[in-house]
Amino acid sequence: MVLRIEAKWEIPYVHSAGEHATKFFEALKEKKILGVKCPKCKRVLVPPRAFCERCHVDTDEWVEVKDEGVVETVTINYARFTGLPDPPYAVGIVKLDGADTGMLAYLGGVDLSDWKKAHEKLKVGTRVKAVWKDKPEGRITDILYFKPVEE
Amino acid sequence: MKRVAVVGVGQTKFRTRRDDKTHPELTREAVSRALEHAGITMDDVDAFVFGTMDPFDGINCPDRWSSTAAGFGKPFMKISTGGTTGLTTGIAAYQHVASGLFDVVVAVCTQRVGENVDAQPVLNTAVDPIYERYSGVGAISVAAIQATVHMQKYGTTEEQMAWVSVKDHENALKNPYAHIQKRLSVEDVLSSPVVSSPLKLYECCPRSDGSVAVVFASGEKAEEIRDNPAWILAESSISDSYFVGDRPDLAVWDSLTIAGRRLYRLAGIDDPKKDIDVAELYSPFTIQEILELEALGFAEKGEGAGLAEEGVTFVDGDMPTNPSGGVLCTNPIGATGLVRLGEASLQVMGEASNQVDGAEVALAHAWGGTLQFHALMLVSSHKKLRR
Amino acid sequence: MKVGIVGIGITSFGVHKEPFYNIAYEAAKKALEDAEMERHEIDNVVLGGYDVAVGRTISNMYTAPAAGGYLKDEIRVSDDAAYALALAYMRIKSGIFDVAMVLGYGHCSETPMELVELLSLDPFFHRDLGISYQMSYAMQSYAYRMRYGIDDETAAEVVVRARKRASKYEYAHVREEVTADEVLSSEMAIFPLRKLELPPWSDGCVALILAEETIAKRISSEPVWVEGLGWHTENYYLGSRDLAELFSTKKAAEKAYKMAGCDAKDVEAAEVMDLTPYHHLMALEALGFAASGRGKEVVESGFPVNSSGGALCTNAHGTTGLFLTASLALQIRDGRDRGIASAVSGYAAQNSIVTILGV
Ligand SMILES: [Zn+2]
Repeated sequence: MVLRIEAKWEIPYVHSAGEHATKFFEALKEKKILGVKCPKCKRVLVPPRAFCERCHVDTDEWVEVKDEGVVETVTINYARFTGLPDPPYAVGIVKLDGADTGMLAYLGGVDLSDWKKAHEKLKVGTRVKAVWKDKPEGRITDILYFKPVEE
Repeated sequence: MKRVAVVGVGQTKFRTRRDDKTHPELTREAVSRALEHAGITMDDVDAFVFGTMDPFDGINCPDRWSSTAAGFGKPFMKISTGGTTGLTTGIAAYQHVASGLFDVVVAVCTQRVGENVDAQPVLNTAVDPIYERYSGVGAISVAAIQATVHMQKYGTTEEQMAWVSVKDHENALKNPYAHIQKRLSVEDVLSSPVVSSPLKLYECCPRSDGSVAVVFASGEKAEEIRDNPAWILAESSISDSYFVGDRPDLAVWDSLTIAGRRLYRLAGIDDPKKDIDVAELYSPFTIQEILELEALGFAEKGEGAGLAEEGVTFVDGDMPTNPSGGVLCTNPIGATGLVRLGEASLQVMGEASNQVDGAEVALAHAWGGTLQFHALMLVSSHKKLRR
Repeated sequence: MKVGIVGIGITSFGVHKEPFYNIAYEAAKKALEDAEMERHEIDNVVLGGYDVAVGRTISNMYTAPAAGGYLKDEIRVSDDAAYALALAYMRIKSGIFDVAMVLGYGHCSETPMELVELLSLDPFFHRDLGISYQMSYAMQSYAYRMRYGIDDETAAEVVVRARKRASKYEYAHVREEVTADEVLSSEMAIFPLRKLELPPWSDGCVALILAEETIAKRISSEPVWVEGLGWHTENYYLGSRDLAELFSTKKAAEKAYKMAGCDAKDVEAAEVMDLTPYHHLMALEALGFAASGRGKEVVESGFPVNSSGGALCTNAHGTTGLFLTASLALQIRDGRDRGIASAVSGYAAQNSIVTILGV
């Protein structure tokens, strides 16, 4: 027999996004997605960050990118994990038009019950468009998901 | 550069939970076995390097408690780098000795993932709380998005990935320390539930509790300690940028190719396929062994998928991979990288539980972050690469 | 072969609005500018800091790129970043690397640090008792105070002097001067420590660029050499230790002096991680500047200790020790020949690391 103790960590945090990223979230309120252009390598980085990791220089040229792009990859989660969203949900990387990097996002608008059929509809290269919350609040979840664009 | 060798390896039995022992007691089990394997005592040890990923065990910086079994009263350093932790702990211990400051150093990693009710939310906290954490991304998802692209780009099939799991599970049957010891068929893997598409349950690692210790010694000491030390030929590590969306092509693990290239250059390896006899790779998900074999030059791009099915990566094949059963069968996350080094060292010592015939050069690998980090070490039964 | 510090970058310390990785980037950039170098001239990054303190499981995911580590070798110590400097030294000394970016990060303003540290206690014997990190340092202070008869006025004087020096140090967090009366009349926080005898919780980052001797001389006309290093860990169980002595610091110092081939009388300045005024005195004794219980004589002598203001004025958990080391390096640049820095971590200074720098 061994003693087992139940424990739970509850540590409150107040995370600061910083001035730079705050601009991105402010723009979301107007259903706009902003990236930053690195002054050196000229890549448009989305999500925006205060410095380009490759060039190690400040990035302060803001550019608006489209809320439409292509799927770079996708996975659908069918397992239930403590504290994570209810399954099934699809997560993928979307490269938005005008951006040089992909953005992690939910994918939706397709039936997820059969993963093979869903993958067919969300194939790499599929064009998708953002579906926005009616009243965006300046959080990343303002983009409910990206859904395939009807041809 | 000073020669350094691995002269002792000790592991605990890995299980979902080790209710029989506390954190330091588990550490002690591995350290004692490693010292015993080296035939030395605690007095012979000059310093300890401890590795773990903090939040998994429900104790922040568990090294402070666990150090009671790993050298309080000695220099002690704590390493934590993500999934690469085990191997970077080995790298740090190697550098302790290579610097000339210490002669005998023990690297030890203890992780109790099983004490955590569910590891994926912890892994999710590695993801940026500002932009990305909401998405519920954990380690399985990032491997799954690699699989999706690899399948579509190269035509990799579910059966080919299942063969990786079949091979690892077959190997684990011979490893007394392995966590999951269960023979699986391709059909078993394919019919297991999809966890994160396209990956199925039996393509994913378990959560394991346990500890591993590896003893490093300077050249002279190493030769005194044993007649079959595992000489360290080289190490290499790399960090990519943070955001997973930055990766230029998820169907190839290019940052691993770069780290591998540096490792091979340092060790004088021209052709990894010929010069390396066995690899212990950090592949908690089937697709990752395939990507790693390709990235490290053991297969052409897009051609790694068939290696398990063709028998190449089985223990009697041309490129034995994960003869220990690998991470698919045992994953004490922050300790896993050091298990890879321990198993690679045992292979070149000729003492592995699932020994590759005549193995002289072995590769150990770990990855971490959201596909951001890699660490590599190369060990050999000879002080220098012999061709 | 020697290893030298050729670049120093210290951000302001205090409460930052920017996230820790942006502060880390600022520190790295400052160190590169200081050394007149480019990121590409660095061949590895060695990071130091805590995960749970900044609320990210693998915090080096953020700080590795910030330090300039994109596609470079990377490693992190999960302890005070003073350990990162020691590891970087070994990585270079071994011949494996040439130039390292050492980066320490601490960011205490986003979460209650007492809770974060409480979770470092085992869940069976200690955590349920609710002993905070500061309480362990207070217990040590009390044990020391009782054994050597240290009075309130002596402790207050340490704080007064610390604040005075911090007021002149641009990077320090708490820079308002205080009087002994103010210290002595401030409320009792954790017996025997009064409110003004406790360190702040700070945000800030420190970057140091270390280089192999030949390269260091190419980069800098006067590198600050790492002459001695020693680190040591004591028993986790508080009841198994003599709390009235900083034993881990003493053992670490012995090793560092041995490596540097000198002792306390050859040292011209010290930076000690004084999480309480009593630890200020205990550290000086452990470093060999005074016999046990007589650290106050060093304070009275005017020997330059904590020109930075010390941990009592700046305490970014995870990089406090490296902040002190970097502050010492600045003093060496300014003309001192040799200095010593000590850092502690864990409950009641379980771990200690000592660094000796010189010209
Ligand atoms: Zn750039």
